[in-house]
Amino acid sequence: MSQPVLSVRNLNIDYVGAEGDFHAVKNVSFDIAPGEFFGLAGESGCGKSTIAFAISRLHRPPALIRTGSVIAVNGRNVLELDDADLRRFRWREVAMVFQSAMNSLNPVLTIEAQFYDVLKAHGPISRAAARERAAELLKLVDIAPDRLDAFPHQCSGGMRQRIVIAICLALNPKLLIMDEPTTALDVVVQREILQRIDVLRKKLGFSVLFITHDLGLMVQVSDRIGIMLEGELVEVNDAQTIYRQPQHAYTKRLWASMPKLRGEQTRLEAAP
Amino acid sequence: MKLFAQLLQNKKAMTGLVILTVIILVAIFAPLLTEYSPVKRVGRPHQAPSWDHWMGTTRLGHDVFSRLVHGARVSLAVGFGAGLLITLIGTVLGIIAGYKGGVVDEVINFFTNMVLVVPNLPLLLVLAAFIGQASPLVIAIILGLTSWAWGVRVTRSETLSIRQRDFVKSAEMLGEPGWRIMLFEIFPNLISIVGINFIGSVIFAVITEATLEFLGLGDPNTVSWGIMLYNAQNAAALAVGAWWDILAPCFALAFLGLGLALINFAIDEIANPRLRTGGMLNRWTRMVRLGEGKL
Amino acid sequence: MAFLLRRLAFYLAAFLVAATINFFLPRLMPGDPIQIMFASAGSELSLENLNALKLTFGFIDAPLHEQYFAYLQSVFTGDLGRSIKYFPLPVTELLGRALVWTVGLMGIATVIAFTLGSLLGVFAAWRRGRLIDSVISLTAIFSSSVPAVVVSLIMLFVFGYTLGWFPNGYAADPLIDPAWNWEYISSVLYHGTLPMVTLVFVLMGGFAVTMRNNMINLLGEDYIVMARAKGLSDNNVMLWYAARNALLPTVSSLAIAIGTVLGGSLVTEVVFNYPGLGNTLYQAIIARDYPVIQGQLLIMTAAMLISNFVVDLSYVLLDPRLKKA
Repeated sequence: MSQPVLSVRNLNIDYVGAEGDFHAVKNVSFDIAPGEFFGLAGESGCGKSTIAFAISRLHRPPALIRTGSVIAVNGRNVLELDDADLRRFRWREVAMVFQSAMNSLNPVLTIEAQFYDVLKAHGPISRAAARERAAELLKLVDIAPDRLDAFPHQCSGGMRQRIVIAICLALNPKLLIMDEPTTALDVVVQREILQRIDVLRKKLGFSVLFITHDLGLMVQVSDRIGIMLEGELVEVNDAQTIYRQPQHAYTKRLWASMPKLRGEQTRLEAAP
Repeated sequence: MKLFAQLLQNKKAMTGLVILTVIILVAIFAPLLTEYSPVKRVGRPHQAPSWDHWMGTTRLGHDVFSRLVHGARVSLAVGFGAGLLITLIGTVLGIIAGYKGGVVDEVINFFTNMVLVVPNLPLLLVLAAFIGQASPLVIAIILGLTSWAWGVRVTRSETLSIRQRDFVKSAEMLGEPGWRIMLFEIFPNLISIVGINFIGSVIFAVITEATLEFLGLGDPNTVSWGIMLYNAQNAAALAVGAWWDILAPCFALAFLGLGLALINFAIDEIANPRLRTGGMLNRWTRMVRLGEGKL
Repeated sequence: MAFLLRRLAFYLAAFLVAATINFFLPRLMPGDPIQIMFASAGSELSLENLNALKLTFGFIDAPLHEQYFAYLQSVFTGDLGRSIKYFPLPVTELLGRALVWTVGLMGIATVIAFTLGSLLGVFAAWRRGRLIDSVISLTAIFSSSVPAVVVSLIMLFVFGYTLGWFPNGYAADPLIDPAWNWEYISSVLYHGTLPMVTLVFVLMGGFAVTMRNNMINLLGEDYIVMARAKGLSDNNVMLWYAARNALLPTVSSLAIAIGTVLGGSLVTEVVFNYPGLGNTLYQAIIARDYPVIQGQLLIMTAAMLISNFVVDLSYVLLDPRLKKA
């Protein structure tokens, strides 16, 4: 197997409190292969978003990534980058769609400006060339280039979501992290967005780290799945195996709580 | 009570409370702290600070220290009296507007916005000028009646968000009368806003009383910090080198303002956890320095 | 546009409130309102002049509402009566001369204080919990809680009387003739420094605290996190993502702060004997020159409303959500 895009080893993250610490992520290790669609599932508060933030080192105090943790992206330990290297690394190698992607765009800047600043931050580029590139990227997500001059509030929720994805692809990242990107959207738009990501992934060849608590969705789209419980990664396997032959008791309970995708429907009869 | 317990753990709040307590104690025990009467001539005019007169004397030969400690009573009384009145009006109108909505809200909101754009000090100056030499009580009352608008605005917007919450909805569902909901469901959730409004209003009242008196709209026979400033200014204290006459009330006012502002800042920190820094950040910084981890 | 028109209508109503207060105040006082209004004139006013003044302020032999409209007519035609102390100087002229100084002093001080205070608030929020945050926050708390009169007096004592670095009063050296030459302008700047520094100090703290709180509330927003994830420089994120958005609520608080600015500049002028509105008003209060005292309320209200309108305008410019799509 080739070198993994992302390799997490012994990741420990605490939230420091005035008296004691809250261990949000406990000794987590996993890999994501090139082009792979990796799902990370678990209840809210289990630490999955904390992991996602740590990969681009977006945490703020009082979060603390413990010494000894390793987050390697394309073989390079992200935790050892200095400030300048970290800035160059961000978005070029790992891009991210946030939980409320609708609020991920700066309300006072035009869409174009939000493409331009990221392109400019990662290399010399003229405003005109940036605009052209931005139009190209928007086409990937089926948005007309005239939207570039719009402000975020002039776009619908689903459109903003697609714009964020287009911005994510601006620098051809190796890894796209999606932190519960669809929770605020309705089911139809959710599905459409994920299908689009899948198509783009195959076309452009990036890997995806998909974080959600929607298990049904996850089983459908992921190659491999990791299950988290209270900060620990309790089980990792490919999607079909983990769905059909769950090993860990918690995984079994999770599947049991999920509405069946195929097979008989269990329906609760309304009380008379 | 929980708010109070949290205040005791906050360094800024503790400093503020200590300052305030000192001033309150001084005000209460004023007659015991000095042998001189604040209104009697007890020495030659404009004597520099000395063992006999710790803070010197005024141009009329009054003892500055005695006037200062007695004046604390007036400043505190006007500050807290007017502050209470301002907060009371602001909170009541704010809750009613936010909870009732509809026409009531529109009327209250319209008047609030109107009062907010009529400049406060010039308005007070006109009022005070017609009243003549306003006693501290009169000043407190006109301050209370003209300065509630800001309180209504913040209380109203906070009430608007609270009334959407489940416990208010369920109380409505149970058929509780409106006044009970406002008093027992909404008001307890506004404590920190009301606290900030109250302390802020006290600061405002203390400052404004001193300003009105300094400008000559107060009763010159009162013993208060503002009147001390007024008399010192009229006596051209700075020009004749009697700095103690002016600096004593200046520092007293600054000290009181600072104490109150520290408390206010602390309440804000406690009410809004995002503003809090406190112990965990210190511990975090220490751990990063020790190499236990990074961001 | 509709937004701005609505604001304009509202300001007109607010101005009417100030005029109404002026109208009713002397009439609500115990005693004869005419006696009260023109008491300080004594017997110096000729009957003819007194009648003209009475007419301006609506003291006519007619029912109350007609008196009211008579007064409003004077106000809206720009007739605010005449000063009694400086009879027959019209109030508008007296206040107009003073207004120039106040607007200059206040306007520049507000711009400096707003810029400086907001920047300090931005830095404090960005380095929250660090040393610079504590220093800025404590300074801001202090500056916003000390009365302007106290700061003015201490400044005057330290830099005026004790160190002698700056003059103790006036807007310019009275021996220099006012003219557009460097000698006069430099004298104005020199005389204006202390009141200016005082005002900036008094106003800065409030802006810094507001900006810091607004910033901190925004720092958790997804668009800030995404800006950092995009690899933008710290300064870029701080200024164009965080501060730019935190500016919106700060600007709207500026509208309310203008009242405080006015109050602060009034007392500062009195302490520094600066020939602006505050000082004119102070002289009027001493002389119980009521037409001038009432006139200043109208002028101050108008100044406040115009400033508010400017704030509204800049708000429209700053927030694309308010612009017409």
